[in-house]
Amino acid sequence: MNDKAAIRFKGAGVVYPNGAVGLAGIDLEIKPGEFVVVVGSSGAGKSTLLRSVNGLTPLTDGTITVGGQPVPKKEGRELRRLRAGVGMIFQDFRITRRLTVMTNVLVGRVAHVPGWRAMFNLWPAADREIAFKALERVGIADKAWVRAGDLSGGQQQRVGIARALAQEPAIILADEPVASLDPVTTHQIMRDLVRINEELGITTVVNLHFLDLARRYGQRIIGLRGGELVYDGTANSVTQEDFKNIYGRDPDAGDVLDEREAS
Amino acid sequence: MSEAIDAATTRPLRPARNWVLIIGALGMVSLMTWWSARGIGFSIIELACNLPGGRRLLVESWPPDWSFFPRLLGPLLETLQIAVIGTVIGGILAIPIAVLAARNLTPGFLVWFVDRNFMNILRTLPDLFWAMLFAAAVGFGPVAGALALTVFTIAVISKLWSESLEAIDMAVPEAVRAAGGSWLAMLQFGAIPQALPHYVSYTLYAFELNVRASMILGLVGAGGIGMVLETQRSTFEYPRVTLIVLSVLVLVLIIEQISESIRRRLI
Repeated sequence: MNDKAAIRFKGAGVVYPNGAVGLAGIDLEIKPGEFVVVVGSSGAGKSTLLRSVNGLTPLTDGTITVGGQPVPKKEGRELRRLRAGVGMIFQDFRITRRLTVMTNVLVGRVAHVPGWRAMFNLWPAADREIAFKALERVGIADKAWVRAGDLSGGQQQRVGIARALAQEPAIILADEPVASLDPVTTHQIMRDLVRINEELGITTVVNLHFLDLARRYGQRIIGLRGGELVYDGTANSVTQEDFKNIYGRDPDAGDVLDEREAS
Repeated sequence: MSEAIDAATTRPLRPARNWVLIIGALGMVSLMTWWSARGIGFSIIELACNLPGGRRLLVESWPPDWSFFPRLLGPLLETLQIAVIGTVIGGILAIPIAVLAARNLTPGFLVWFVDRNFMNILRTLPDLFWAMLFAAAVGFGPVAGALALTVFTIAVISKLWSESLEAIDMAVPEAVRAAGGSWLAMLQFGAIPQALPHYVSYTLYAFELNVRASMILGLVGAGGIGMVLETQRSTFEYPRVTLIVLSVLVLVLIIEQISESIRRRLI
């Protein structure tokens, strides 16, 4: 494990221009290779936490270091270099439906090749190889030349994962990656993420809404409420009482994916 | 079930029409029309009295002088060529101009402001003005016409397309930036693909407009069929004028059909 994969929050806070508090005084250390699940009700700051790691949402307070390097607060070359090593997966996939699967995955290589090569679609063979390997890892290499928009929801999310993998990242951030998927696909995607974490040792931070998913797939669970850290522990030790504290109410059927697992 | 009855009683009433607004708006338009007609001396009665003059013109213009057609082919082709050059060069130059004018994609306020005003100037000045300007600069002929249409094409496409670009979903461009992509990569892989069908559609539309416009451009000596039209009109060869108008009409209809079929396939 290299230390490039470590994330440290020190007094990290985000106040949005409209005055809303995204994060407040977060002190947190994520070790290389960890698989961390972040839970909390909507508006608790889960997305803000993730987006502050790659600078999509700049901190207004405190610092975050990724692999020992502080996250720059302004757009620019340095922030692009940091982002190149941090893959991100989104709830709404965020792939370009009109382009082929391959082109979408190659977007994961844009920070690693000269601009003119990307511009004229002259990707080096090595980068094409990396993209193909990424597609193979999520099992959709046969779809490489299909238009991304023609794929099913689960397959589109795999394109999103492959794009993140093509970055050969030290860290993967997944912002509610299964929230727009059906239960069966949800479990497939979660297993993919766990497998990638185990096989490649990529530090993985996943935001989830469902408690049963968090407990089942997370090694470590972090609970946010109102932008503050209210829980940090292993998935095995988290109790119903902890969830109640995180959500500020008793968890109900809407907080679990599979109702049979609701206790 | 009582639930059904409850639903019926809570159905909202259809709101009353705002007759004051409707009558007021109609009255306003009538008043403005009356005021404008008086201003330019537009009168139905006078028009009716002058109708015989117009009838004489129509009678003299018919039938078209078909024997003139062979001499039209060259200028028609030139019209088409002027339109092609104007559309291709203008279409390419419109890309950066539209991107910089899209509020969500522009790199900075100053660039946006300068570009927006540049576009406004292009649009404010009519194509005839540009034709005269370029005719003075590079001499009378088709090159001046092609340059004028280049400017006209930039004006049309950049305005329409920058609005399409502003309407795209910024989620995908953000994902490209999250992967470490530069501004250019964000444009190329996140933003532009979403608005590409609009670009093709507007470019085809600009081509249609250009074929039409190149008829007018000839009036100021910028080449094409318009120059023939002007010579024939000034020597009162009305049957020939009719033929010219008809042939341009047919040319425009053909182009419209082709571009419509391309557009249908795209969207």
